[in-house]
Amino acid sequence: MYLSRSTMLRRLVLDVLKPHNPSVVELSQALSKLKGIEGVNIITYEIDQKVENVKIIIGGQKIDFEIVKKRLEDFGAVVHSVDEVAAGKRIIEEVRTPQDRSARL
Amino acid sequence: MNAFDGATTVLGIVVGAYAAEITNQLWIISSGLGAALAMGLSGFAGAYMTEEAERTVSLKSLEKSMLSDLSNSVVGEASRFASFWTGIVDGVSPSVSAVVCLLPFILSFYGIFPMYLAIQLSIVVGLSLMFLLGVFLGRVSDRNVILHGVKTLCVGLVLTFVLLIFKLAK
Repeated sequence: MYLSRSTMLRRLVLDVLKPHNPSVVELSQALSKLKGIEGVNIITYEIDQKVENVKIIIGGQKIDFEIVKKRLEDFGAVVHSVDEVAAGKRIIEEVRTPQDRSARL
Repeated sequence: MNAFDGATTVLGIVVGAYAAEITNQLWIISSGLGAALAMGLSGFAGAYMTEEAERTVSLKSLEKSMLSDLSNSVVGEASRFASFWTGIVDGVSPSVSAVVCLLPFILSFYGIFPMYLAIQLSIVVGLSLMFLLGVFLGRVSDRNVILHGVKTLCVGLVLTFVLLIFKLAK
């Protein structure tokens, strides 16, 4: 199915591998300047000798995933996985179901 | 610190010319400018090639860790930018300091002041530059600026005295 670029992505949670430089501060500032993005949160959860793994949470009214990905690549970063996506007029939060292990415990 | 090389080389040329009793400004200016050009090219080429090689190794190592090509990213751009500008700074600084030390001779060539004064002024300018570079080093390393200024000045004074001894021994 064709997915229009005008489809509203409201939240993106990305697992990203990046070099230490540019820093997360510079990366967050660059991402927050992109069109359609209202806020960025970057959490570093693993630091190796030359690279670091970060979780990037992006919120906005009209996030363009391709532009975000391109900007990250410009900064030498690589998207490992897209861990959460929220699209549409309203952000739908995750709900627990009886099938979830955490819900059964 | 390449500016130090420029000042030292021209100081050597000037005091050497004085020791050899050369009275033609043009000879000193030509030798000084030749040395300045050579130091500029050598500084640029040497620094650029060394920086470029070192940064390429570092970038390749990072690419290996990232499992991706970083040549078109800001990391690759920063690496190329830094190599080029390190070369420019290392090339321009000795040339500029050399030309500054030669200025009294250029002015003397146009008849603004006599040759003996140009020699004295050039030596003073060269030694002052050395002292200021030492002060700068002391400042960036957050240590005694006067002590570092005197240290670099001593290099120039030793060079001057050694060449003057040659003149006296003649």
